[in-house]
Amino acid sequence: MSTIAANGFHGFVRPDGSVGVRNHLLVLSTVALTNRLAELAAEGIPDAIVVAGDFVRGLRGADLPLQARVLRALVSHPNVGGALVLCHDVPTSRALEAAFAGEGKPVSVQALMAAKGMTDAVARARAAASGVAHSLTGATRSLAPLSRLTVALECGGSDATSALAANPSIGRFVDRLIDAGGTAIVSETAEFVGAESVVSARAANQKVSADILAALARSEAFLSEDGESYRGVNPTQENIEAGLTTLIEKSMGAVAKTGSRPFVGCLTFGSKPPAPGLYFMDTPFFSPVSITGMVAASAQVVLFAVGVFNPSGSPLAPTLKVCGNPRTLAEWKDSLDVDVSAAVTDGASLNEMADKVELALRKVLEGEKTMSEAWSEGQIIIPSTKSLL
Amino acid sequence: MTEQNKAARSAERRHLTLSSGDNVTTVLDDLVDASCLAGGGAVVPGVRFGHKVALTDIAAGDSVVKYGVVIGHATQPIAKGEHVHVHNCC
Repeated sequence: MSTIAANGFHGFVRPDGSVGVRNHLLVLSTVALTNRLAELAAEGIPDAIVVAGDFVRGLRGADLPLQARVLRALVSHPNVGGALVLCHDVPTSRALEAAFAGEGKPVSVQALMAAKGMTDAVARARAAASGVAHSLTGATRSLAPLSRLTVALECGGSDATSALAANPSIGRFVDRLIDAGGTAIVSETAEFVGAESVVSARAANQKVSADILAALARSEAFLSEDGESYRGVNPTQENIEAGLTTLIEKSMGAVAKTGSRPFVGCLTFGSKPPAPGLYFMDTPFFSPVSITGMVAASAQVVLFAVGVFNPSGSPLAPTLKVCGNPRTLAEWKDSLDVDVSAAVTDGASLNEMADKVELALRKVLEGEKTMSEAWSEGQIIIPSTKSLL
Repeated sequence: MTEQNKAARSAERRHLTLSSGDNVTTVLDDLVDASCLAGGGAVVPGVRFGHKVALTDIAAGDSVVKYGVVIGHATQPIAKGEHVHVHNCC
């Protein structure tokens, strides 16, 4: 099969030079107060993507700029062609308009309180959404090099087949992607605890190694906050019965999806990779949170390894579910994209399975919908550094 | 020996070596009576799905390599074809 390096991909070139694999109209509710308005505004507009999370007012400390940064990154995302941004009050809408003025893509900001009643608010929001949608029609794809592609790597619902088939198959593909000049990001720091020696051996330099090891140490301290040492209880008795001997072996099940190339940087939540290569992003536990961080960092597509089914995904970045568990594949075939079970059931090689991942990804890059897109599945969840009172 | 047992012992076990430099492989079936790995190589009986088998002799103290990385060290000599787990590796 032709390698991914030879062909690049066809996408929507944005004013900032990034390349989208989708041309979404994003309807973004920047505060939970406008979530219903966002739903109503998007009604009747085909392919509008509504992002209406539990975004709050009254944040303090690091949480305030973090939420603002992530919401802004969603509008800037390469897969977004234009956006309707909803907020509650007029002063906020003025600030958002100023913030988005330099985007170079159509963005309309609407404040709920600028309207006189809900009927008026819905009419204004729908008109604004239609206007943005209209300006997106007729956009065409053009050829882009792989240096413009960032792939997010995640796993969830992990079982024995995840470690043996789905994650290593993705890893083989990631090696090809990196060698071809592309970018990949892996996150969910807790999954790497125990694999410190592997990560530090694969760090491109001392600083990357030190940054990743510091993130792992913070994560391990957090995991042990209830008084029980994470390292002391892992691998668990259940893991040992399943054949896992050491913690590093257990951690490698997840680390395998990163392939074998060097880590060239350690990113904070939502930060963009400065150059192509393989990156580690320090994110908290829970896959939709980690995916949010990688998509905020401009990843255009997600490769998600599952054992048992897990519906996590991104509403903005097509998420391919890669599975090696024959039972899950039979029961959830309407929700999975790549079948790599032959590595477990038929003695197929991991390189053959990586070919399947690559072929499926190519089609998705060119516009074929993933199962999670067909279901409009996906979450945007911003972590908080402090609990709300 | 029953015909069924003979058949089981002549079967080859399906297994996966995750990286080319690994000195263990993971068995992927429940043919616990078989003594051969698919593609050649020995395996002791009784190794269950998901468990590891040594592809070479491993001296006490030597590295156990899976996924191309050192996942542990042999705590006693391990012969080719032996089960590798918490009793001989940590």
